[in-house]
Amino acid sequence: MALASLLPDSQYVINLHADRYLYLRAFCAALVAGQCTLMPPNRQPYTLEQLRAAYDDAYTVGEAGEEAVQPDFRAEVPDIPDLQRAAIAFTSGSTGAPTPNLKYWQTLRDGALSNAQMLLNEDSEQLNAVATVPPQHMWGMETSIMLPLFAKVAISNLTPFYPQDISDALQSVPEPRMLISSPIHLDAFLTSGVTTGRIDKIITATAPLSKQLALDLEAHFDTLVQDIFGCSESGILATRRTAIDEEWTYSTTFELTMGQGGVKISAAHLSEDVMLPDIVELTGPNSFRWMGRQQDVVNIAGKRGSLAELNFRLQEIPGVVDGVIFAPTGEQHRGYRLAALVVAPDLDVSDILDALKHKVEPVFLPRPILRVPNLPRQGTGKLAIKAVQEMFAKLRDAT
Amino acid sequence: MPGQSENENALAKLLVEALNLEDVAPDEIEPDDPLFNEGLGLDSIDALELALAITQKYSIQLKADDENMQHAFGTLRTLNAYIEEHSV
Repeated sequence: MALASLLPDSQYVINLHADRYLYLRAFCAALVAGQCTLMPPNRQPYTLEQLRAAYDDAYTVGEAGEEAVQPDFRAEVPDIPDLQRAAIAFTSGSTGAPTPNLKYWQTLRDGALSNAQMLLNEDSEQLNAVATVPPQHMWGMETSIMLPLFAKVAISNLTPFYPQDISDALQSVPEPRMLISSPIHLDAFLTSGVTTGRIDKIITATAPLSKQLALDLEAHFDTLVQDIFGCSESGILATRRTAIDEEWTYSTTFELTMGQGGVKISAAHLSEDVMLPDIVELTGPNSFRWMGRQQDVVNIAGKRGSLAELNFRLQEIPGVVDGVIFAPTGEQHRGYRLAALVVAPDLDVSDILDALKHKVEPVFLPRPILRVPNLPRQGTGKLAIKAVQEMFAKLRDAT
Repeated sequence: MPGQSENENALAKLLVEALNLEDVAPDEIEPDDPLFNEGLGLDSIDALELALAITQKYSIQLKADDENMQHAFGTLRTLNAYIEEHSV
């Protein structure tokens, strides 16, 4: 409250705090002052420039070094109007141009209450959580900022990155512990062989979690792994214990209806209906089975991209005769990057990469790019993903 | 090899192999060029993959909160120095 009265007069604040406590404090102060928090997808100067150009009265907090601050205020929680614009998240597509995603206070608050019900046992004691994902990402915002505000969750101010950091951060909080993370961090954490105290629950999102990784994590850390399904537009939608569940269970807060263009998500706390960017089969009153990505969506490091668009960018490169960008599924590949097979007799791999670098968001740059004499197209010119995967696996085996 | 020591060259090879940097020749990595953002253009997924590869090869765990570590990931030279100092 005291902090809120000190804020500059403005509609928007760019919250860059990496320290989660400072982020939360600045977010709450902005709420009280009626200001909307902008959540930049990264700290790159170019991103911030774009953001400041689009929201010209925005000021920035947390840009310089962060002083350590102890929690120092207790005040009545003020009433924030339901339709106050609380935060804007940005989703960057394949080309990196960020799309704003407005969250009203009602959406964040009621979403948090619904998530608490879905993810936490009502009668359990307070969980002490550590998150490896930044608070500026919707997944990090919903779990590491909003859950602590509305549920029995305390959050560490740290954002550990390397396996040893995750272990240290977990050991710095008392039991029972919860780890909020993503498959790539969890895979590295497990593979590194670091040990840690008991973890009561792991929740993960931002990329598909394989059943094997879920099983290994549960066995190694003697824990429960809850996989979360959602998108920036809807927030957290559904969950499953991937080690044993095939189907996803969604909260009764949401209504899913099958329509012509796919599945529509409605909820009282969402300002508008959301079309699910995935293909799902509704299997029960509150469950569905995931059948695949809608069209060609890929999800890497919390960013959603369109394969069709990436392929278009690849094929328009002068000298590229044919080519395909895809998400490899083979065993040799850890699956966190896209790969490409390219027919380009006169180009080097570095030429292709250079050309793509200018047009494509970096996480979507394919690696490896393998040059081939031709793609396994069928007579009709159609390219089956299965044939692409097989060709890629064979080439990888050969190297 | 642009002034790479033997250990630096071994690390350069590990880096290229672990990260699938097929457009980069290990021998051509300048020891003092930045690895992340500009320079080699590595990102945070690479940082994790590289940390794992280093753990497996040199048996050391990296930590981001160690200030030397932030510096270590700057260039091939500083990373190699960090590994030489920390591996037993």
